[in-house]
Amino acid sequence: MFRFLHSADLHLGKPFGSMPDELRGRLREARHTVLDRLATQACAAGAETILLAGDVFDTETPSPAVLRQALAAMAGHDGLRWILLPGNHDSLAAEALWAGLATSRPGNVVLATEPAPFQLAGDVVLLPAPCTTRRPGRDLTEWMALAATPPDTIRIGFAHGAVQSFSEDGGAGDVIAPDRAARAGLDYLALGDWHGQMRIGPRTWYSGAPEPDRFKHDATGRALLVTLPAAGAEPAVEPVETGSFDWRMLALDCLAGDDPSTHLAALLPAGPSRRQSLVRIVATGRTRPPARTRLEADLKAIAPEFALLQLEAQELVTECESEDLDQIDRAGALRDAAEMLLAESGDESRSPAEREVAREALMRLFSYCAAAA
Amino acid sequence: MKLTALRLHNVRRFAGTGVRIENIGDGINVLCAANEHGKSTCFDALHALFFQPHTGTPGAVQALRPYSGGNPLVEADLTTADGAFRLTKQFYGGRRAQVRERDSGRLIAQADEAERFIAALVKGGISGPAGLLWVRQGVTGIERRAKAEDETERRARETVLTSVQGEVEALTGGRRMTEALLACEEELLRLVTATGRPKAGGPYAIAIDESEQLAEQERRLGTEVSDLRAALDRRRTIRGRLSEIDTPETARERQAALAEAEAELAAAKAQTESFKAAESKAALALNRRVSAEQAVTGFRQALARFAGLRDAEAGAAQERDAARARHQGAAGIVREAAAAVESAEREEREQRDLLARLERALRAQEAANRLATARDSEREAQATREQIERMEATLKSLALPAGKIAELEQAESQLLQLQARAEARAPQLRIDYADGAEGGISIAGIALTQAEERPLVGTTQIEIAAIGRLTVTAPQAEEDSRSIARAQAKRQALLDELQVDSLAAARLREGQARDIKADLDIARRRLQLLAPNGLAALREQIARLETEAASANEAPADLNAARQQLGAVEARVGAMREAARAAQARTETSASALVEAERHAAGLSSALAALAESLGPQAEWRGREERLSVEHDETDRAWQAAQRQVEELAARTIDLAAAEARHLRLRSVMDAAREEITRLREEAAGLDGRIQTRTETAIEETWQETRDRLAQAQQRTAMLAREVAVLSRLRNALEAARSQARDHYFAPVLQELRPLLGLLFDDASVTFDEDTLLPRSVQRNGLDEQVGVLSGGMREQLAILTRLAFARLLAKGGQPTPVILDDALVYSDDDRIEKMFDALHRQASAQQVIVFSCRQRAFARLGGHVLRTEPWQPDQ
Repeated sequence: MFRFLHSADLHLGKPFGSMPDELRGRLREARHTVLDRLATQACAAGAETILLAGDVFDTETPSPAVLRQALAAMAGHDGLRWILLPGNHDSLAAEALWAGLATSRPGNVVLATEPAPFQLAGDVVLLPAPCTTRRPGRDLTEWMALAATPPDTIRIGFAHGAVQSFSEDGGAGDVIAPDRAARAGLDYLALGDWHGQMRIGPRTWYSGAPEPDRFKHDATGRALLVTLPAAGAEPAVEPVETGSFDWRMLALDCLAGDDPSTHLAALLPAGPSRRQSLVRIVATGRTRPPARTRLEADLKAIAPEFALLQLEAQELVTECESEDLDQIDRAGALRDAAEMLLAESGDESRSPAEREVAREALMRLFSYCAAAA
Repeated sequence: MKLTALRLHNVRRFAGTGVRIENIGDGINVLCAANEHGKSTCFDALHALFFQPHTGTPGAVQALRPYSGGNPLVEADLTTADGAFRLTKQFYGGRRAQVRERDSGRLIAQADEAERFIAALVKGGISGPAGLLWVRQGVTGIERRAKAEDETERRARETVLTSVQGEVEALTGGRRMTEALLACEEELLRLVTATGRPKAGGPYAIAIDESEQLAEQERRLGTEVSDLRAALDRRRTIRGRLSEIDTPETARERQAALAEAEAELAAAKAQTESFKAAESKAALALNRRVSAEQAVTGFRQALARFAGLRDAEAGAAQERDAARARHQGAAGIVREAAAAVESAEREEREQRDLLARLERALRAQEAANRLATARDSEREAQATREQIERMEATLKSLALPAGKIAELEQAESQLLQLQARAEARAPQLRIDYADGAEGGISIAGIALTQAEERPLVGTTQIEIAAIGRLTVTAPQAEEDSRSIARAQAKRQALLDELQVDSLAAARLREGQARDIKADLDIARRRLQLLAPNGLAALREQIARLETEAASANEAPADLNAARQQLGAVEARVGAMREAARAAQARTETSASALVEAERHAAGLSSALAALAESLGPQAEWRGREERLSVEHDETDRAWQAAQRQVEELAARTIDLAAAEARHLRLRSVMDAAREEITRLREEAAGLDGRIQTRTETAIEETWQETRDRLAQAQQRTAMLAREVAVLSRLRNALEAARSQARDHYFAPVLQELRPLLGLLFDDASVTFDEDTLLPRSVQRNGLDEQVGVLSGGMREQLAILTRLAFARLLAKGGQPTPVILDDALVYSDDDRIEKMFDALHRQASAQQVIVFSCRQRAFARLGGHVLRTEPWQPDQ
């Protein structure tokens, strides 16, 4: 029996330049502390080995602080063995990085920089496929089938890259054969690159990022606890939570008569977890100006509770009826202005941009009148 | 639009019951009833019918419901240009809205359709706010109102005024419009300047700046990252290359190949050296052979030449001797000719001297002859000269100045003339004595003779003896005698000047002078003949002739013979000289011929001597020739041997150029490899440095971060740009609407309002703000009052008049609309109410006006059509 923790895509040192300054620091810090959370999970499950399947570092030239602090954090868990694989972000082309790691790594950190069998334990062999460059252009795992091992040896493949053309970086030339585990007689193929956790086959998994870094995958940060009973036996794979921040995209489907704010309350997480939540509300459907105004006001009011709260309302159509205009004014110039804008927003002869501007100007007028009332 | 009937059921106090007002007519209609008869209920119900959707239950609708509940029903009949209609609305339970044709009862529209129909009634045309025309006690009915406010008079008084403002604001958007505009502009001006450019220091400008800065930074970092990547790639390439060429095996291989090539090159070089030595040896042998051949040939030629020269030298010596003899002969002839010339010339000189002496003697003789003549002339000339001088002296003493004679003559004749005239004019005294008395009369002591006549001149005292003295004065005669005296004085002066006594003497002297002058002329001509150049010249001539005559010392001889002799001698001299010249020319020719012959002979001699010197003693000539011939044969053999050796070596040479090229190539391969290794190592070291620097600064991370921030900043810039567009659009829309509303209403309404004001306030004039259409001030009794402090009556009157003005405007626009007043004149005094009534009637001529009032007495004077309420139950 061999048990280990499978993770990848830590992207240490990711800058998060598009985030507000304060949040950036926290997000970067969370990426660093995920090492401790991984270690904690491994210890809790009795695993002594942590496989990090590529993209441990976000760039080929991480700052010395990022590098040294990461190594220090790994060294701090001396009962554990960390095995680092070069990924596309920190490929072997980053000679300085890997040379630096080779010289300054602590004893419990192993660099899987050679595509050659590596003995993990008495009858366990790791077959790494380190990324040679950012885009190797070929399937680096091919050699695994040719690597001979003694019988009854547990064979663990270790690679970074896409099995379909859904790679994080796109491109299809360097796709890893999805059935590599079967073809190369692997007991388990630990993959990195895809930031969401994904099972490709019974023996092939993407661990996903232990600390999410984008809205795309809409899941918490997790790693995989893998237990291999024996050579040839089916592995037991168990997700474990490691994330600190929660990145969520919440769909808010509005109906014209509804008040979306009530739906919103149900959607949003509650309580102190909001501080660790980055939420993007994707509003769709139709709404009326007052509801829209209210929705925005509500979001503005609760936004400070969240790490990040964004509204994406490009798909939300705000419909205006004449009674909506009554809220601006029943008659007179203000009403005339509102009707002028309403007509313009629905005028097919105008460009979409112009119509959108007119529509927003109308919404703005609503908000002014609402504020005045 | 015109109302004709109103019915309501289950409204407020009419719970379960209903009332109706029928036959509402044109012009003024008055419903006058005490309080709590339901006037306001009617008003509110009518208002709700027109302005409250049947589906909603806002405050205004709730207010209609009886306390006991129920479903308020309101129905109104009205006529428009399209016909007569009946509108029905029920709120709460069984809520409905219907429009029927009044007469046929045909359903035209219901529910939302009906609402739209009603809305079109109150809004259509110029989209005027129909609510304007509803005036209730102090409120407009279109503003949100609290019940409590309605009930307090204070609020009522305020709202009466504000109702006017409210109406105007409703038109122009008013305060809300202003607030919206302000809010919009405030937000806009935070971002952009008045001219629409991003405002410095504002969020928009900052976002743009930040975007630009980040873009620049991103570009720079991007360059650095690609630089880093290029450096990494390059270093990898270098390392790969070094691993190929910088290994011990490859170095050894290159070394071995080079050593082999070097050995081969050394062999080739040695062989080439020996070939070159043979070649130079053969060349040397050839040189020797050639010089030996030249030596023997030269000796033989010298011998032949020696013989030739010897013969030539002998000939030249003979020639030289002959020339010398010829020259000596010619020189003798020259000497003889010179002597002949000399003697002839001597003879010529002697002859010439003789001739000169002869000629001199001849000239002296002639001079002596001329000297005698000249001396005679001189003597005579001297005498003549002396005579002339005497005559000139005489003439000088006799000569009178020219013209003086004539002048004297004239003075003389003048005197005579005067005397004659005086005598002619003078009184004549004649005495003829009586006998015995002769001589009794005397003048100046002189007695007058008998018959003596005497002229009397001047004052004459005539003494008459025994009688006395008679004085006669003749003034004329006195004058004449003075003229005569003057003429006499003048003549005397001339005579004195000429030193003559009289004119005759002067004439005589003149004649003498003329004679002497003639003689003098003759003497002068003679002197001229004797000495034409003057006496001095004549004397010089004499002196010269004397000298000439004295110089002759030889007797004259035959001059002509002497001259002929000289001519012969001269001819002989010329011939002699020519002969001498010819001889001289001949001797010069012979001299140069001699020089030439001598030079030739001497040249040949020296050449011969030199040749003899070089040939050495003649006795050895034979032996020497043989020796040279043998030497030539020997060198020829040596050369042929050397040549053969060269040919042999050439036949078996190695290609040195190929060996050198090969060596050079391997050498350069080796050097290039070494050089490349060095270069690559250096470059790798440089790259290490660059990579190190970039790596330490986490350049990619910074780049990534900058890109994210740039995207963020650009997004923000775009957002703000959109914000600016939205706000600008909104501001434009608001401003356009407001100015449109003003254009639409203000001027026309003011125009309608003015006559009404005149009607009401004949003692006051109201000014309106042209921009807001609000009454600004009232001028009364010369005082300006702000509208804010006007009395409640004044305010409500203004409010009503403004509405009437609007109503007129609408009516003129083809949209007659009823004006509905609910206890609208609360504060007005009787006088004003009358005036208001006048205004209403004036208005009602084209308009339906419905007045609800509780002031029965006051409104009794309004006149108009009186309305009554009757109980009503709707048809179920």
